[in-house]
Amino acid sequence: MLDFSVYGQEQQEVYAYKCPECGTLDYPAPMICKVCSARRDPSGVIFSAWEQVPLSGKCKLLGWTRVYALPEGFDVKYLLFAVVEFENGLRASGRLLVDDPQTGMELTAKVGVVKEKVGEDVYGFMFDRV
Amino acid sequence: MRKVAIVGIGHTVFGNLSEFDLVDVMSFASANALEDAGILKDRKIIDQLFVANMGGGIINHQTGIASALVSRIDLEPAMAELVENGPASGASAIKCGFAAIASGMVDTVMVTGGELMRTVTGWKGTDFVATLLHPEVEYNYGLTLPAFAGIFTRMYMERYGLTERDLALVAVKDHENGARNPYAHVQIPVTVEAIHEGENAHVINNYVAEPVRLYGTCPVSDGAASLILCAMDSPKMKYFTKKEPVLISGIGSATDTHCVHHRKDPLDLKAVHLGAERAYKMAGLKPEDMSFAELHDAFVILELAISEEVGFFQKGKAQEAVREGVTRIDGRLPINTSGGLKAKGHPVGATGVSQVYELVKQLRGEAEEGRQVKNPKHGLAVNFGGFGNNVVATICSKEA
Repeated sequence: MLDFSVYGQEQQEVYAYKCPECGTLDYPAPMICKVCSARRDPSGVIFSAWEQVPLSGKCKLLGWTRVYALPEGFDVKYLLFAVVEFENGLRASGRLLVDDPQTGMELTAKVGVVKEKVGEDVYGFMFDRV
Repeated sequence: MRKVAIVGIGHTVFGNLSEFDLVDVMSFASANALEDAGILKDRKIIDQLFVANMGGGIINHQTGIASALVSRIDLEPAMAELVENGPASGASAIKCGFAAIASGMVDTVMVTGGELMRTVTGWKGTDFVATLLHPEVEYNYGLTLPAFAGIFTRMYMERYGLTERDLALVAVKDHENGARNPYAHVQIPVTVEAIHEGENAHVINNYVAEPVRLYGTCPVSDGAASLILCAMDSPKMKYFTKKEPVLISGIGSATDTHCVHHRKDPLDLKAVHLGAERAYKMAGLKPEDMSFAELHDAFVILELAISEEVGFFQKGKAQEAVREGVTRIDGRLPINTSGGLKAKGHPVGATGVSQVYELVKQLRGEAEEGRQVKNPKHGLAVNFGGFGNNVVATICSKEA
């Protein structure tokens, strides 16, 4: 993985989005707040852009699988995937780095390269042991 | 609302048809439906064609598929449109046809669903189907439909005590039916010994996405199916004297969150529940009125979960019904009499149409020996799109 600190860049982040009207957090970014119906404008021109809140840290493993039949672009024997719940109640899917997981175990969410494309690395959640 | 009947049905064999082109495969099923309806020569009475297909633009490099098909079977100047709703495209196209007739806009509709998936490698095929997931927070990770089925299956096992043996029993039952269906992709029966208990079971039935094994998933198939629909009050019904009409007595659909992680309880398949409820309400029927069902078992866990969501069994109890043989062809409520997606195959755009084809075949009493349900009155089909985010339920009934 590239060390971004070398180039003065920070590690890529995954963000939740905070509604400016009622403070509700959501991931990924919605276009309309589920709670108060406030609108989000991705360009920030018509309505205010929503605050981005880095989503990482402690989370709980809700469900997982080890997949052997991977799609094109993933040249490994298998990968583990998980659905987790963060302490703020948000949930997310992502890559699981624990080889012998137990449902309900505590994990920590980091951000790393989940897919390598030519000229572009895709960043996303990596869930690991605390 | 006008009553809508199915007056003709057609099907191709499901399997590897990659030597043919997509529109040819769809044309063959469509011509079979015209013939079955007895209107091959009078085909121009069809007002509208709805085509169901998910991946023509991606994996077959073909667009404008409805226009191509209408011309290939010489149906011009009928109206023609494509319906794409992921793996539920087929039943959605039927719903469009139903609505077009029920509203009075047209009298006769052909619905043809088809897919050619084996023209690409398994890796590409898996990738193509996965494009229906959320592109940023699911697809990018390498998550696929089998991956979500794995997560779902484990959660179900942990909560309800489902075992791998139960999953094997569903597969054995589906393959038993599929072996008697000449259109099924896999026409070979399997045993619990071979895929679960035997010494080599873990080799024959290896993991795809733990705890989902090979015999817990459907094959990747090519194929097409076609239906002809007509308004019961239309003068055009005089053309359809060859076969008894079968009514579409109820049809409903519903959606759920695109991202699986947004569901409060990932084991609640709300769109299945609500789609079926809407179909029952339209038909004025209840789950206990159903004589049999075709449920979207792209993964065998889904046959169990869907059968609970549509009200056949209590939550977590479907595996008991399977153990008791309730869902076998000679049981109280046969499920997936065609072999289901598990044995019959799953050409995604064709599947929803193929499920309703099976309902009609059973209600007419035309199913092959050994897989005909006794005196069926009503049948339910559930076509499951995404990982449960867009689901269509259709009820067909013998005309009273």
